[in-house]
Amino acid sequence: MITNYLKIAWRNLQKNRTSSLINIVGLGIGLATFIFIMEYISLEKSVNQFHSNVDNIYRLLNEDKEGVTWSEVEPGWAQLFKDKQSAIESYCLAEQGIGQGIVQNIEKNLSFKEDRIGYASGNFFEFFTFNIIEGNKTDLKTPQTVYLSETTSKKYFGESPAIGKSLTLNNQFGKVNYSVKGIFADIGQESDIQYDMVFSLETLRSAAFLNGNGWADLNNFDSQFINLYVATAPNTNINILEKDINKLRSEVSKEDDGVTFRLQSLKNMHLGTSLGDQLQTYGNLKYIYILSAVAALILLIAWFNYINLSTAASLKRSQEVGIRKTIGASKGQLISLFLAETGLITGIAYSLAFLLVILIQPYFNLLTGKALSLNSLQLSNVWIYAFSALILATFFAGFYTAFVLSNFKPVDTLKGKLKGSGSGQWVRKGLVVSQFSFSILLIIATAVIFLQLKFMKNSELGINTDQMVVVSGPQVGLDSTYQSRKKVFLNYLGQQSFVKEYATSGSVPGKYYNFRTAGFTQPGSKPDDKFKSYAFLIISDQFLSAYGIEIKAGRNFTYQECDVEWNDNSKVLINEQALSSMGFANAEDAMQKGIQWDERHLDIIGVTADYHHTNLKNAIDPIIYYPQLNGQYYSVRLTPENLSCKLSSLEREYKSVFPGNPFEYFFTDEAFARAYSEEEQYGQIFTIASLLAIFIACLGLFGLATFVVETRTKEIGIRKVLGASVSGIVSLLSKDFVILVVISLVIAAPVAFYLMVNWLKNFEFKVEINWVLLFILVGISVVMVSLFTVAIQAIKTANAKVTKSLRAE
Amino acid sequence: MIRLTNLDKRYRTEEVETIALDKMNLEVKEGEFVSIMGPSGCGKSSLLNIIGLLDDLDGGSYLFNGIEVAKFNERKRSELRKHNIGFVFQSFNLIDELTVYENVELPLIYTKVNAADRKKRVEEVLEKMQIMHRKNHFPQQLSGGQQQRVAISRAVVNKPKLILADEPTGNLDSANGNEVMQLLTDLNEQGTTVIMVTHSEHDAKYSHRIVRMLDGKTVTENILL
Repeated sequence: MITNYLKIAWRNLQKNRTSSLINIVGLGIGLATFIFIMEYISLEKSVNQFHSNVDNIYRLLNEDKEGVTWSEVEPGWAQLFKDKQSAIESYCLAEQGIGQGIVQNIEKNLSFKEDRIGYASGNFFEFFTFNIIEGNKTDLKTPQTVYLSETTSKKYFGESPAIGKSLTLNNQFGKVNYSVKGIFADIGQESDIQYDMVFSLETLRSAAFLNGNGWADLNNFDSQFINLYVATAPNTNINILEKDINKLRSEVSKEDDGVTFRLQSLKNMHLGTSLGDQLQTYGNLKYIYILSAVAALILLIAWFNYINLSTAASLKRSQEVGIRKTIGASKGQLISLFLAETGLITGIAYSLAFLLVILIQPYFNLLTGKALSLNSLQLSNVWIYAFSALILATFFAGFYTAFVLSNFKPVDTLKGKLKGSGSGQWVRKGLVVSQFSFSILLIIATAVIFLQLKFMKNSELGINTDQMVVVSGPQVGLDSTYQSRKKVFLNYLGQQSFVKEYATSGSVPGKYYNFRTAGFTQPGSKPDDKFKSYAFLIISDQFLSAYGIEIKAGRNFTYQECDVEWNDNSKVLINEQALSSMGFANAEDAMQKGIQWDERHLDIIGVTADYHHTNLKNAIDPIIYYPQLNGQYYSVRLTPENLSCKLSSLEREYKSVFPGNPFEYFFTDEAFARAYSEEEQYGQIFTIASLLAIFIACLGLFGLATFVVETRTKEIGIRKVLGASVSGIVSLLSKDFVILVVISLVIAAPVAFYLMVNWLKNFEFKVEINWVLLFILVGISVVMVSLFTVAIQAIKTANAKVTKSLRAE
Repeated sequence: MIRLTNLDKRYRTEEVETIALDKMNLEVKEGEFVSIMGPSGCGKSSLLNIIGLLDDLDGGSYLFNGIEVAKFNERKRSELRKHNIGFVFQSFNLIDELTVYENVELPLIYTKVNAADRKKRVEEVLEKMQIMHRKNHFPQQLSGGQQQRVAISRAVVNKPKLILADEPTGNLDSANGNEVMQLLTDLNEQGTTVIMVTHSEHDAKYSHRIVRMLDGKTVTENILL
């Protein structure tokens, strides 16, 4: 029976080549999209879940009064919690950021700037489940030891064994030698904790290795710079533990800073528990939901094609259904027959989908920046639910079609009375409207994303970024000769005709600040004002002029004012935002009163204009400029043209003055553009999604038009006999479809408006959109595309010979 | 075998109600060959559809082998139909996607006859109808006469007690037409009851009795034997 059904299904599929092809291609693309997105979601769901104790590990977070959380905490809490809380069995401290610097294999004369490195507690490899390939897990407890990833080991030592060899780390803690004690398997996308090298945190216990950085004292309760993970006893009530550690916190802390502790499960560290979860995560759950919705929409559009085309084609097959019924086919038998056809078509579509996935995988990986494959589906059990839903939906689509087909009354179908039932036509029209509504929704979303991106990239930042190159300052050789060598390099910059301006600073526009901190008050402050956070930017006297930041009142720092020890300085500049945030009446008021930073008093010597330091997604922060001759970044504005030549001159000089340091630079423009990479990714995904959606929807429209033209062949013949023109007939046939597309626009536009206005709320600075014009433009383009689709069929029919169309019945 | 009493059938559109059968009475005995004649629109086809259980009736009684079937639901009708009634249409109504063999086999599949028996019976019928050599052809590859022979094969493969033929020669030339009429006569002689709707006086002469209809009623009955 089944083979019989499949045989007939196969013959039908060959007979109706156009609609079969449309169904298979549409479903294939839809399914491929679905599979891709499932791969992505599976991977995202699996991140961090490989740790054997994942259920009992929690990360400590700080949460301020506004619900903002961050993971850098004071290291002193670790031992205190373990001592006082029996529920905490062990802890692990790990940081990534303060250790960044230049690593050298002096023996081989190799040096690289390393970002994915950091210090971790000695039990790091016991606490977490990373795979140790060589060495044992416990050697990190010894100071001046380091574990390398497999790839990093090869980078510094080639194929020769690395264990026991020495590497030198140059960073803010000076120049320290470390002995390689272990090799671990490369940490990939399955983990949020990402290290190429893990240095023993124990090293920093000795004051000699702190290099004057007292803030990094591992027993301190003052400076937040490290991540703290705790392993709790099984079945610990986390809410109670959270309360208990907060009680401890308020006992130990000297003053109320408005911050409380939160415990975040390692399980939820990547995606959070829900969209309402405010705790800081590495992944983006919202992105997962948006992607799923996009996949579902595209798949729905493809399925609607299937339902539409098969029920439409069924009218042609009504006679067959009639005969089968007359001969004695039961409804169940007919349903099975049509389900077999659905099965065959979806079977082929699935094969096509897997083929597409294999072919397109590299491009999708490029788009997402992840190494995905069909194997990724196994990473979590999401796929079980997803594919069950998929099979259920396939069955539903098939069943609906089968049901419609098998329901014909034999006497009607045999007499050819059936011309499409009223309700069937409405369902078809409804599905077309849904398809085009989805497509238009995606197109409008894409347009808005790109308008906002363009706006952010082209907006005035309030600074001059033209040809501004930022060179990372040296980290190797920061000895007694460094200051004089720095002067040599600055003098060189001053003498070059291709250097227009230059400055040193602790951070630069397009990057983050040096840090953010609170605790600023002035005589007129309100009680809660001390909780307000301010951005700190360490600058030299040339910084403001180099970037063209206007001084609105007061004056700039002098060179002498910058050439002071951190704690000896008493002068700051602030921006206008800070001026109002601090509650001063005006710049004069500020310069007169100055501010209190906990116990220190600082004079405000001037107020600068506001500018965008990070990007246009965020509001302009209140900034406090702190004077130092800090050489973390050298900003150099070059004269236009021949940039590569000028950059090589810079590199030559840099390397001769700061030997052992790699020459690393970026353009300020690029740094700002990088801030929008998430939006760029959204933009790309939505472009692809909307192209696919409109393509599949148009495929369906083409199929339907073919069907309509076939059923109206005789009518067209008669009209032509009576004198209708080709254009008249084309417009007659196209009109109905265009009306459907217009209805779709009317439905999609308000939904798109609502969703995208909400999306734009993520941006402090948003593009002004003429929504009506946007809707009209999108509407016109979609109508044109659909008109073109329908017209292909309509023109063919309108031009056909009259005798042919009249003979058709 | 068939007793119709006061049979009513009306067709309604939004504005017009057409009476197709008006208190129609008819009795057909087992083994009879009855022709139904009359002008277009007199209700011949409606009558045939009701006898064939393809359509509902609006009033009256329909006894099939002594059982009242007027109130049967679709499932029961389908059951009765597939075991007892074979259909032959003017336009053959073969399924284009199936071969000759598969078309004839179809009723046996629906009555759940096993594969070996199916093969035997299909081949038997095709031999008898002299169309065996075309069993792997598709309907569109056959002449009209051949197609109708396939249709008759399909109608009789299940050995129905009753064959309903709706203008079976309407689309055929006279030679093929005569051949089809001869086949029906042969079947009748082997015991199958045949009810045939026709416009052709020539064809009607093959039957035992002619029922002439006008406006949904019987006007005359001629016994030909």
